[in-house]
Amino acid sequence: MTEPTFDAIFDDLLDANEELQDFLAILDALLPEASVLLVSETGALLDGAHPLTLAQPVREKLVQEARSTDGFVAGKADNGARCHAVYNAKLPGVLIISCAAPKDDWPPGSALTTLLQNTLDLALHRQEREMLVADHEQSVRQINILQQQHGKLIEDNYRQYRLNQDREKEYARKLESEIAKQTAELREANARLEEISRLKSDFLANMSHELRTPMNAIIGFSELLSETPLAEEQLDYTRTIAQSAASLLSLINDILDLAKIEAGKLELERLPFNLAEVVDNVAAMFKIPAREKGVVFTCKIDSRIPKRVMGDSNRLRQVLINLSGNAMKFTERGGIDITVDYEREAAGQIVSRFSVRDSGIGIPADRVEAIFEKFTQADGSTTRKYGGTGLGLAICLQLVELMGGRLTVDSEVGKGSTFYFVIPLEEAPAEIISLQEHKEAGREKLGRGGRILLVEDNAVNQRLASILIARQGYEVEVASDGAESLEHLRHQTFDLVLMDVQMPNMDGMEATRKIREIEADPALRQEYVGLRALKEPLAIVGLTAHARKEDETACYAAGMNGFLTKPIIKAKLALILNEMMPRVSCLETKDPS
Amino acid sequence: MPSAKDILKKFTELKTLPHVAIKVTQLVNDDRSTMQDFEEIIKLDPVLVTRLLRLVNSPYFGLSQKVESISKAVVFAGMKQLRNLVAVEGLRGMFKGDDADFSAQKLWLHSATVAILSGMIAKRIFGKDGEDVFLAGIIHDIGLIVENQIVGEQLREACKAFREGKGILTECERNAIGTDHTEVGYLLTKAWGLPQEVLSSIKSHHLAKQVKDVSSTGSILQLAEFMAGKMQYWAIPGPTETLPPELTEHVKMKVADYKIIIRDLPGEMAKAKELYESDE
Repeated sequence: MTEPTFDAIFDDLLDANEELQDFLAILDALLPEASVLLVSETGALLDGAHPLTLAQPVREKLVQEARSTDGFVAGKADNGARCHAVYNAKLPGVLIISCAAPKDDWPPGSALTTLLQNTLDLALHRQEREMLVADHEQSVRQINILQQQHGKLIEDNYRQYRLNQDREKEYARKLESEIAKQTAELREANARLEEISRLKSDFLANMSHELRTPMNAIIGFSELLSETPLAEEQLDYTRTIAQSAASLLSLINDILDLAKIEAGKLELERLPFNLAEVVDNVAAMFKIPAREKGVVFTCKIDSRIPKRVMGDSNRLRQVLINLSGNAMKFTERGGIDITVDYEREAAGQIVSRFSVRDSGIGIPADRVEAIFEKFTQADGSTTRKYGGTGLGLAICLQLVELMGGRLTVDSEVGKGSTFYFVIPLEEAPAEIISLQEHKEAGREKLGRGGRILLVEDNAVNQRLASILIARQGYEVEVASDGAESLEHLRHQTFDLVLMDVQMPNMDGMEATRKIREIEADPALRQEYVGLRALKEPLAIVGLTAHARKEDETACYAAGMNGFLTKPIIKAKLALILNEMMPRVSCLETKDPS
Repeated sequence: MPSAKDILKKFTELKTLPHVAIKVTQLVNDDRSTMQDFEEIIKLDPVLVTRLLRLVNSPYFGLSQKVESISKAVVFAGMKQLRNLVAVEGLRGMFKGDDADFSAQKLWLHSATVAILSGMIAKRIFGKDGEDVFLAGIIHDIGLIVENQIVGEQLREACKAFREGKGILTECERNAIGTDHTEVGYLLTKAWGLPQEVLSSIKSHHLAKQVKDVSSTGSILQLAEFMAGKMQYWAIPGPTETLPPELTEHVKMKVADYKIIIRDLPGEMAKAKELYESDE
């Protein structure tokens, strides 16, 4: 398609000569005195402000000459005046001009022709200038639009910036509220979990009570039974009952220990104790059964390790007993040693290595990891052959970890195993006098009789405990709850009260608090025969199936002087009674003769 | 005879309209929309992304740095440019097919010419933002495309009658089809949510009614339609409609301006071709 022209598009609308007219108007303004005639390309005749009349033949001749000449062509108008014609391609057309002076001729190159030519050019330029002005105006408009668009762009961007900000704020707000919501939910869940954990812990305590109470009866009575005259067969059965009950009790204790450890409830004590004594004690436990088996049991402690150290002697003993017990179980000949070696000193603590070596069956390498897991032994047949629950090592592992060490084993099948752990020990300060030692001092005294008030609600336990106490050479009076015990104290004197903690009506804690109140009140004290004559507070030993540390603490807080767990072990009862009984029995004071 | 609505109903069943175009148009009209919203839509269409980047990096924008991210390009192009870009892209595919009586390709060329001329007149003579009139130019004859697809036979009849001088195109269409492309186009684009002035210009671009405002979108479209016809970029070959006297008067007043527009048109068209031309 050819490039479009303005004329091709708008020729229908516009007079084609309009532009030539415009040009004539401009020329008239420049040369007001001249007469002008313009002949267009189509032959149209256009007059200026002063018309110029020419005879047709003259005009046609002039137009023709002007078209073929580059410059002005002279001629004569009807009025006799000189006229000049010139062709201009820009118009396009032939312009015929007559000035006032009739006679003058315009030779080519004269100042006059130049002047006229310049005037014509000027007129043309003025017309072109219109276009340029329009062009400029269009450019200005477009620039304005661009400026507007630019402004709008900036405005838009600012608006969007604000929008984005709002959205971000909104988002942040949502996020915050979401977080708050979730935090609240988590808190609630956490509280629920804590509650569940507490319930579990309570359940554990109750279970411990519920399990120990019947165990108490079984162990106690089978012990008593074995002391009655029995046939060989009966004695054998009784021993089996006693052994099974003892192993069940130890299983229960293990499970409770593990449960406590897993609940994070097990805390180690930090008290001074004699390390050599603990180790010797364990060794003494095993020496006789070892000798019976033909196994040599020895123990050795490095002399650089201090005698008295800080820690939980009971738990350490538990670990050593467990490891030694295992060694005993799996060793048929050779020897078992417990050794405590000095490793190094670090930060004021003596890092010591405890090992229990045996010359037993050993553990296959691929089972080493498994033996530390709960309820697992080296293989299924072990359980059948050697018994045990598989809980012992799992507990030892945890206890050693609590002590800051790591339980490991080196073992070779057929040659034996060495279980060892390295823990830091701190020397006990000299001024702390061990409770244990204190107790030990008392052990030397002999039981010399006295009156004991047993406060216990359970009839079976009443009987068992009464028998055990009587065997120790003491007189027993039984009260079945706290209130009744107060009644007994009102009318009788006792050297010691064995007070069960859990009882109906008035429990052991409350009864103990009452007794202490009465002791503190001189007036009230006179009403109680059993209290008024005493120079020291009445000895009260708590008796409970709850074996937890906090139970013991609660007993002391209520005002008790001693603590004994059920089931009652004869030896322990003997020990505590011996220790707690006053030097001078109430029997002696009452009846000095 | 079917009404414009009947035709349109069939059309929408036949062919779905460019979703992106509609979505972008809605965003342009929504004050709360952000450039991110545009970006989300544009980036789904790789062809659009290419075109947008080409547009922004063209000499027209004269940016000193090359724009390579969509988000920046969206900001520079501005919403309306973006809308037009998307509209051109979306509509181009509809203008396909060629035969003696009706050529969709020629119609596309016509629409593009009218759009460019409209934009030039709006900007250069009236100092107005040319984007809306450009869009009006691109879609003003969309009704013909719809008619071609649904009532092709009757449309060809109407074209023939028009070529033989039996009246203006819309009259011929109403005789043969029962409605005309201005009505169909108006109804179709109404659903796109375009500015009211664009819609009414689509409806009125063949109306020989009295012109009240020479600078309105409708007037500019009519002028551009006239000029494109004279340049033989016509929609349907046939006699050119005469301009209303108000517009003739306006051209006479602005001879120099229109001379410049006609002088500059080939350059503008080449530029547009570069920006909008398909890569196929």
